[in-house]
Amino acid sequence: MIKTTSLPLGRISLLMAILIWLALVLVDLVRIFGMINNLDSGISEEVTWILEILFFFFVYLVYRHVFWKNRQADFLTLIWRGVSTGLFAAGAGLLTELIYFALGESKIGTDPFLKNIFYHINFAWTSAFLISTAFLWKHLILYQKNKAVVKQWQVFELSMLGALFFVFFNHNNFDYSFLFGLVILLVVSILLAVNLKWIPYLNFKEKWKTLLFLFLILVCSGILFYRVLAYGNEVKLQINLTDNLFIIALFGFVFAYGLFSFLVTLFNLPTSSVFEQKLTEAINFQKLSQSIKHEENEEQVLDILLDSCMSASYSDCAWIELNPKEQIQLKNSHRFLDQPTQKAIASLIFQENKSWAFNASTEQIQSIRVNHPVYKSALHIPLVINKSILARIVLIKEVKEGFNKEMMSIIGTFARQACISVENHRLLNQAIANERYQEELKIAQRVQKALLPIKLDHPDSFQISAYSNTADEVGGDYYDTYQVDANHFVVIMGDVSGKGTSAAFHMAQMKGVFQSLIQLGLKPAEFMKKANAALSKCLERNHFITASIFEIDTASHTFCHARAGHIPTLWYKANEKSAEFISIEGLGLGIVRNPSYQNHVHEKTYDYQAGDLLVLLTDGILEGRNEKGEQFGYDRLKNLVEAKHQLSPPTLQQEIIDSLHQFVGGDGMIDDDYSLLVVKFTQPD
Amino acid sequence: MLRIEKTKEETTDILHLIGEVDASNSVLLDQSIQEVVQQGTSFLLIDGKELGYISSAGLGVFMSYLDDFSERGIRFAIFGLNDQVGEVFKILGLDRLISIVPDKSTAIASQHES
Repeated sequence: MIKTTSLPLGRISLLMAILIWLALVLVDLVRIFGMINNLDSGISEEVTWILEILFFFFVYLVYRHVFWKNRQADFLTLIWRGVSTGLFAAGAGLLTELIYFALGESKIGTDPFLKNIFYHINFAWTSAFLISTAFLWKHLILYQKNKAVVKQWQVFELSMLGALFFVFFNHNNFDYSFLFGLVILLVVSILLAVNLKWIPYLNFKEKWKTLLFLFLILVCSGILFYRVLAYGNEVKLQINLTDNLFIIALFGFVFAYGLFSFLVTLFNLPTSSVFEQKLTEAINFQKLSQSIKHEENEEQVLDILLDSCMSASYSDCAWIELNPKEQIQLKNSHRFLDQPTQKAIASLIFQENKSWAFNASTEQIQSIRVNHPVYKSALHIPLVINKSILARIVLIKEVKEGFNKEMMSIIGTFARQACISVENHRLLNQAIANERYQEELKIAQRVQKALLPIKLDHPDSFQISAYSNTADEVGGDYYDTYQVDANHFVVIMGDVSGKGTSAAFHMAQMKGVFQSLIQLGLKPAEFMKKANAALSKCLERNHFITASIFEIDTASHTFCHARAGHIPTLWYKANEKSAEFISIEGLGLGIVRNPSYQNHVHEKTYDYQAGDLLVLLTDGILEGRNEKGEQFGYDRLKNLVEAKHQLSPPTLQQEIIDSLHQFVGGDGMIDDDYSLLVVKFTQPD
Repeated sequence: MLRIEKTKEETTDILHLIGEVDASNSVLLDQSIQEVVQQGTSFLLIDGKELGYISSAGLGVFMSYLDDFSERGIRFAIFGLNDQVGEVFKILGLDRLISIVPDKSTAIASQHES
């Protein structure tokens, strides 16, 4: 496109247009001089035509530039430019008439040279007016462009270009070819003149102004056209620049489009309020749908909604009532209505309409008759979010049956849009809250991971490995080891009932209790009694903990074991080449919360051999289920351990977890925390 | 998935548990027991014939009522548990605190004995 900064194209074109015009005046005066004195001036009429075409061309460039610069201006400003040029041109023409009227039949008054200079001035103004108005029309025609309209316009421009050079073919005679060309151009102009889509976008006031401006343009072009014709008829011996197809066709185009626009604008006046209304509705709708994006809150959405509904239905007054259950507050809930009147109308509506309640299931917009001295009809709009009524809007009119179907449907759309906005707003807030909650959970997860030991205490005489996984971010499984002295080691595993956050908190308490008691060097049964007493004080009534404890004596190759409701430990005995679950009675911790618990827990000491394995686990492993609903169960674990007993604890542990996952498969589930601790006794040094 | 059906035979309230009790629906079980306890009962039986699974949260519900039952003199028994579910009660040691019997007639007979 044109770069106005680098080259002042507009000014250069203007300068060129003026220079060419001067040259045209000079050439024509010389030619007239020749004609009057019957001398051959040596200048053929083609020179005049070429200069004329060049003049048109540069005027075209000037206005092209002007319109490029003002392409964002509104219609009225642009039309006003056309009007002002027309007024100048017509004014110049009338002034010339006036001067000649004053001069009368004096010598100057009949001087052909002076007359020609005036004629050239008028010609220049007329051309400027026509070309600028043509540009204006182009802008309006192409306001809502599609391919067809652009094509039409291009055809028109090309035919006008042809008309420009028509003079060489026609030699300025008014013959049939001229008429033929004119008819074609007028037909194209009239076809173009139906593109009037800019008019509906004017509001009522703008339409009136447009009518005035169009009228002025029509008058100006009428005056100028009359003068062109008058000159053509009046002067015989002159050079005729204006009996040119280009000029006449432009007149036709300017006049036709001006007339069409004028009439259509005029007939659009009565319905313009409807279009304005629709436009307002569209804007309101957009406002509602965008209201949440602009960080507006729910009150503002409801505020916009109330205004939109009122303007869509021409209501006289309205109010919005929130469901008392809602948290939000509205500052401005009444429009053109005072509290007592609102109360009176509300009670009238209630008499008329029994479904008038927030718990009513009605989601329909209802038009209601009102028996009030002033107000005669009401429209009840429930705003429904998630099947519960958020609020209701009541629109009131002074006329009976004041709400038609179209109003109700557009208001329904507004209401739905507003509800969606409010709902989105709530969902967004929820999502943010959720996000924060997730962050907190991640922290909890990290803290909880730290509660499990990284390093497990053990001597060279046994190997140990442990693994724990949670169903949710945090869980309730726990394991730990403790070295009492050179030959005594304690291994413990615990499981809080339930899973998730509550289990995780109890797990932390369990660790505290276990770590304290473990220091005391208690025997397993005694340890469980103390643990039960301590945990009974801090567990919720419906929560309990199960635990297994092993006190391993590496000097005597024995372990002393107590079980508090925990899944029995699997013991692989190397010399028997088989495994069994150690069955020993024991009640979970926190179930009996009094000293009678001591009757429910027992301990027993067992001898172990090198090569023996202890597999401590939580119920999550046994209760892992496949898609048929079968549990992993005791037997699968037992068989697996018997088959793989030669593996080292970490490998065996991995083997168990892998086969659990394989068993559960993609469609099964492990819906619980699960943990595993493997101890393998090795050959004494 | 858990469905609880309540029936009453003479002075005996029976809660029939159908499905599985886990952390998500143990509240239902809790509510049902609560209702029965508040209406006043002397003998509460749990029919576990169609109980497929019970998680520790479900066990926690029974456990939390044990003191309540003994304070109010309510006799409580569970019957008809399948092996797998029975094992869960046994491992936790609840079989020592709750009367777990094979069938309803045993449960009712045991009441008359005492």
